[in-house]
Amino acid sequence: MSETVTNAIELNNISVNFQNHDQEIDAVKNVDLQIKRGDIYGIIGYSGAGKSTLVRVINLLQQPTQGSVIVNNQEILKLKPVELRQARKKVSMIFQHFNLMKSRTVQGNVEYPLLGTKISKADRQAKAEKLLRLVGLSEYAGTYPSQLSGGQKQRVAIARALASDPEILISDEATSALDPKTTKSILELLKQLNRDLDLTIVLITHEMQVIKSICHNVAVMDAGEIIERGPVAKVFTEPQQKLTTDFVETSTNVKEAIERITSTIKISEFKDNQELMYFNFIGNSTKQGVVSEFSQKYGIDVNILFANIDQIDGENVGYMIAVITGDLAVFNAAIQRLSSEGVKTRILTNDVLEGGAA
Amino acid sequence: MTAIIPNVIAMKGEFIQATWETIYMTLMSAIVSAVLGLLVGVLLVVTQPGGILEDKLTYSVVDKLVNLLRSIPFIILLAVISPLTKFLIGTTVGTTASLVPLIFGIFPFYARQIQNALLDVDHGVIEAAESMGSSPLEIIFRIYLREGLADILRVSIVTVISLIGLTTMAGAIGSGGLGDVAINIGYARFENDITFTAMIIILVLVFAVQLFGDWVVRRVEHQ
Repeated sequence: MSETVTNAIELNNISVNFQNHDQEIDAVKNVDLQIKRGDIYGIIGYSGAGKSTLVRVINLLQQPTQGSVIVNNQEILKLKPVELRQARKKVSMIFQHFNLMKSRTVQGNVEYPLLGTKISKADRQAKAEKLLRLVGLSEYAGTYPSQLSGGQKQRVAIARALASDPEILISDEATSALDPKTTKSILELLKQLNRDLDLTIVLITHEMQVIKSICHNVAVMDAGEIIERGPVAKVFTEPQQKLTTDFVETSTNVKEAIERITSTIKISEFKDNQELMYFNFIGNSTKQGVVSEFSQKYGIDVNILFANIDQIDGENVGYMIAVITGDLAVFNAAIQRLSSEGVKTRILTNDVLEGGAA
Repeated sequence: MTAIIPNVIAMKGEFIQATWETIYMTLMSAIVSAVLGLLVGVLLVVTQPGGILEDKLTYSVVDKLVNLLRSIPFIILLAVISPLTKFLIGTTVGTTASLVPLIFGIFPFYARQIQNALLDVDHGVIEAAESMGSSPLEIIFRIYLREGLADILRVSIVTVISLIGLTTMAGAIGSGGLGDVAINIGYARFENDITFTAMIIILVLVFAVQLFGDWVVRRVEHQ
């Protein structure tokens, strides 16, 4: 199969400029993005990075200033309005604030995408019922959205999004207004839909936690550009950009830990043979006794202040912050050996003294 | 009764007729203004910057026209519009003739109210409908007019009440109705009981509209 067949979405050299009074704002700058059929692709960035604008180019809710958009093998920008509306039915979208119609019941909301199609009323109702069963809300068919919780509203929105049998689902911060437990259950549902319906999911978020729990691939956006991309496990363990490192450390609590540690212990009182160190273990290296090796083989004292372990795409990833005390020459040799085993280290002592908390 | 409101009792028949005339003027001009106002209000919302059928020229022309019509004091509009009334109805006096100025007096106001009501419809829902492949016409009928229904009804009540007020002013050009009775008979002949009774009937009409409207709004609202 050629590239165009396996890619559900292809954005080529997309730019979006907004004219705001006399100011020109480049919301998206020359972005190329290919998303494979069946993938769960995450786009992460802080608000204002341009991720919402970028994904709205996929269904042309946002007209790009330049570039080409190929969705389901159709050149979207060349479609007539009627054809575009047909194409949009195959690219569903869910939103941070659910965007349900308050004047319609749950059932009515789910039926909405089927209004005006050739599907008969009975079939339409049956389909909505089936979808509500799928999202676990059968008993709420007759209620109005205002009576539902956030998580339930998002489930209704998902059922509505599925009514037109889409091939692609765009999730625009769909879990950002939900509590952690509800977020988890919504993400589980998305994962299940990806698996069972072979739905391609494009997901925007500002939380690395979300990317980590369901995405296969991720792109990091900043100031309208994709600054880093790749399989989640790789981006997670080998972040190349400062911003990516930021996101990773926030999601693993490392950032918070560093802040806590540096505010409670006095680095300036460290002896010459002491350092505050950050260790990042990936895959197999987590299985070996790094700490015991340090102390037994090299005679270095390791005082662990923080440790955490994560599983990303089946790989173990560990994080540790420790104060080490020992002969620095020996210590350097030990670090050399560690990095050859895939453990990444960073000395935090100087960062902290210079005032920048990692 | 004859002692308290002697003049009213004496012209009971006229009062009943005047009440019907007021109801007739209000209803007829409300129906036509509802159609015109909804059309113009929806047109303003969909053509405004960022609307689903954004069109700067249409928007600015219609917007200015509505403002212009809204700026003319009704009592002057009654006089200014009389050539058009003559052309459309054949005469400038009487209940039916008063419908023309009433419609032009109220529909721009209603259009503006409709515009504001529809602007309250969550933009996210409009975007969601667009993402589901709804056409502009489907968005107008299935989203704007439906999601905005409670607010549309609310502004309709306000408009009908304003309209009842305008029908009394139309009395100045001989439209008939309760305003005509209150001013041209009650006030002109110093028969205060007539003026007062006309006011009471108008108040009853206004309260009836308000109560009925509130009841309907409660029935359609689900938030």
